[in-house]
Amino acid sequence: MGASIELKGIYKDFAGLRVLENWDLVISPSERIVILGLSGSGKTTFLRLLAGIEAPTRGQLEVNSQKIGFVFQEPRLIPWRTIRQNLLFVNDRANIDALLNSLHLEEFSDYYPSQLSGGMKQRVNLARALAVSPDLLIMDEAFASLDLKVKVDIMNDVMRLWQQHRFTMVSVTHDLKEALYLADRILLISSRPARIIQQFPVDLSEPRIFSSPELLSLEGDLLRLVCQD
Amino acid sequence: MKGLSRALTGIIVFLVCWQILSFFISRVIIPVPSETLGLLGEHLTNPRMLEAALQTAWKVGLALVLVLLLGIIAGLFLGISEAFYEMFRPIIMFIQAVPVVSWLTLVIFAWGVGWRGPVFITFVSLLPTAVLTTVSGMRNLDKDLLEMARVYRVPFNKVFHYIYWGSLLPFIAAIIDVTIGQAWKVVLVSEYLAGGSGLGVEIFNARMVVDSAGAWSVTLMACILGITTERLVKYLLRRMSKRWGPA
Repeated sequence: MGASIELKGIYKDFAGLRVLENWDLVISPSERIVILGLSGSGKTTFLRLLAGIEAPTRGQLEVNSQKIGFVFQEPRLIPWRTIRQNLLFVNDRANIDALLNSLHLEEFSDYYPSQLSGGMKQRVNLARALAVSPDLLIMDEAFASLDLKVKVDIMNDVMRLWQQHRFTMVSVTHDLKEALYLADRILLISSRPARIIQQFPVDLSEPRIFSSPELLSLEGDLLRLVCQD
Repeated sequence: MKGLSRALTGIIVFLVCWQILSFFISRVIIPVPSETLGLLGEHLTNPRMLEAALQTAWKVGLALVLVLLLGIIAGLFLGISEAFYEMFRPIIMFIQAVPVVSWLTLVIFAWGVGWRGPVFITFVSLLPTAVLTTVSGMRNLDKDLLEMARVYRVPFNKVFHYIYWGSLLPFIAAIIDVTIGQAWKVVLVSEYLAGGSGLGVEIFNARMVVDSAGAWSVTLMACILGITTERLVKYLLRRMSKRWGPA
């Protein structure tokens, strides 16, 4: 069962600079939310609030989660530890072998991060997030720096694992297709100070296909909304 | 093999230069190499000299252990808190600036002649290097890794073991690298001036009877020991760093 999240009138300021303004939001257990907005609009700040790294300046934030998995934009792996050790770092009781198998990393368990490609590191980043058996998976532009093939492969893995574990998923991106592929609901946010300006439900059948006419049609609708803003 | 032959050539050139200089300069100032090396050979089988070498070696070892232990612990605390660092920085600067002879006055008044003086003087001479290098290591910690550990609520002992220790290891290696060579020199000087026994005392004794060859043969013995320990420790550090994987 995934985590539930409720925000009421959330504001976040940094040294007098308002970053988030009046966020009201309810996220249901196992829901997949994607935040779509411009770079520097405050998307990452919102994720940091959810993860408990930052506290809101004002408002009420309730995250009913036992375990949070966070896929960072850059992998943040411990360079002098092997992949296996990096995963054991967050949970030494995790079934590392099963996890590595599920993300096609089984051959690389004794490699060091510097021996892996960018895509592989990002898979390890995801594996580490899943190693804690999260009920809330947060992804901060996790696929931004990857080439298309690797990106699609990892997103397929994420969706497959979501089908199995049904964690709540909150991710941020500025890629419309990625948002449509991952989300049950897309939140469009304004530039700073970030406000939720539109909620866009994504009603697509599973499994989703990147090139499906339905997804492409929704992409057109979403693009019009983004351009209006 | 090429490296070894080059090193041997360097040694031969050095000995030839030494020999030439000894023709022109008084033996009291520059002894003849053959006499000095002959004495060195005798020292290496002389129980009294071996005992002196052992005396110096354990003082170096003890001083280094104290420097590493207390220097790293102090560096960790000063690296964690900027307030602590600002508070203690003047003291570290002061310790760093005090000349060896001033410490010598202090230790002779406190303990007289003996092993404690050389160990203490070596300790205070090298402590600032250990503390300040550890502080640099703490300041170089990857904040993103620490934030990741916070998100996953990893307990501090594990964070210390996985992140702090791994980040600090190159800095600790640098401390050992820098201090080990200096430790030999400082212990020898302190023994010369206030030590009860050891190679420094043997150099002092040779000087008292104007035995330049004796003083230089003991110095060569100290150099051989110093270089050997330095090489050994560097080899061990290299092996240790390999265990921590590629950078």
